Amino acid sequence: MSALRTTSRLIASSKPLFRPAAFARSYATVDALSQDPTPSEQPRTKTFHVYRWNPDQPTEKPKMQTYSLDLNKTGPMMLDALIRIKNEMDPTLTFRRSCREGICGSCAMNIDGVNTLACLCRIPTDTSKESRIYPLPHTYVVKDLVPDLTYFYKQYKSIKPYLQRETKTEDGLEYRQSPEERKKLDGLYECILCACCSTSCPSYWWNSEEYLGPAILLQSYRWLADSRDEKTAERKAALDNSMSVYRCHTILNCSRTCPKGLNPARAIAEIKKMMASH
Amino acid sequence: MASIARQSPLLRQSCLSAFRAPWATRNVAQVVAFHASARKQILPPLPQTIQGTMNDPAPIPTSHPTEGSYHWTFERLVSAGLVPLCIAPFAAGSMSPVMDAVICSAIVVHSHIGFHASITDYFPTRRVPKTHTFMIWLLRAFTVGTAVGLYEFETNDVGVTEAIRRVWKA
Repeated sequence: MSALRTTSRLIASSKPLFRPAAFARSYATVDALSQDPTPSEQPRTKTFHVYRWNPDQPTEKPKMQTYSLDLNKTGPMMLDALIRIKNEMDPTLTFRRSCREGICGSCAMNIDGVNTLACLCRIPTDTSKESRIYPLPHTYVVKDLVPDLTYFYKQYKSIKPYLQRETKTEDGLEYRQSPEERKKLDGLYECILCACCSTSCPSYWWNSEEYLGPAILLQSYRWLADSRDEKTAERKAALDNSMSVYRCHTILNCSRTCPKGLNPARAIAEIKKMMASH
Repeated sequence: MASIARQSPLLRQSCLSAFRAPWATRNVAQVVAFHASARKQILPPLPQTIQGTMNDPAPIPTSHPTEGSYHWTFERLVSAGLVPLCIAPFAAGSMSPVMDAVICSAIVVHSHIGFHASITDYFPTRRVPKTHTFMIWLLRAFTVGTAVGLYEFETNDVGVTEAIRRVWKA
């Protein structure tokens, strides 16, 4: 398959086969000479203030560093701007990114006061307003825009996010679900665990050591709602204390901020209903 | 990646100490300078370490329904019950002392649960255990005080509903 692709590319493409690495990597930058549709356009310079902190200089305070980019030469998304800053202006700028299309959850950060994924956040085209980019709020910062999510993942592990089942099906084949049962998982399985919702929750800010937070509770409900899972009672018992679920005070920041458009607050409400009716 | 960085506070410390070694052993100025932010925290700073390794799950608390699901159900019942209780005496126009007693006790219970939740939120046991205990007892004192005061007001004076009605019509 790969051989076929290479051959077809050889025939079809008029571009040179091997390009310098610098060109191959410059996807965040629009090549001004060849692709600018309106070359006479005025440069639209946008200012970005980016949170900087370097663990190698622990005595220095975190600071905001200012970068200016011409939006005509930058891709439409915040992640494009960040990658362009890193490629062309300041290679020391540190942030996580991977898929650039909102499915990996790496580039979660606080942009203009809202937790979101940089790759799903358009750069506001109003150049008179300056954009401010911070790491996720109330997280320990590893460097610049990289937050420490270790405890978040430990909490995710504590809810046992996998199918727990003792009995086999009669025919020994897969565990089947009716379309209605499967429908209950819509709006839950899409969560990519970017931690935007958890780090926007004031209750999680104050009690992140014990309160699980909206993202983990949404995942928890994903397994409570699964018709194939047989450990519902154990899962509920693990949540039945004052801290794990009931620190949620329906502030609803989670549903407001979710870059995937999910509703963690509703999942928590469903958990509370399930817990109340056992 | 972050977890690797987080996993190694030891590594970070050893880097720091290696960094410091040529100058001096940990003098006061350096320690002060290490705290880059203003020291205005209300609560003591967290240790910034994790229990166990980064691959261990976070500890699961013991199941405690009276603090969990039962507590929540009771709280919601009281809250929901307060809505008709607050409307009923004024809608009906009757000044039943029994109704007054029910409203007063429901309000006392409701506010006690509400303030208790605030204390759990803002004075967590794991960080400020003594302050937590003090605040809980302070809340209990206030709740008992309120209950006694309301009882006195109901028995020796006109009662809550009548008082509100008089203020309303004054």
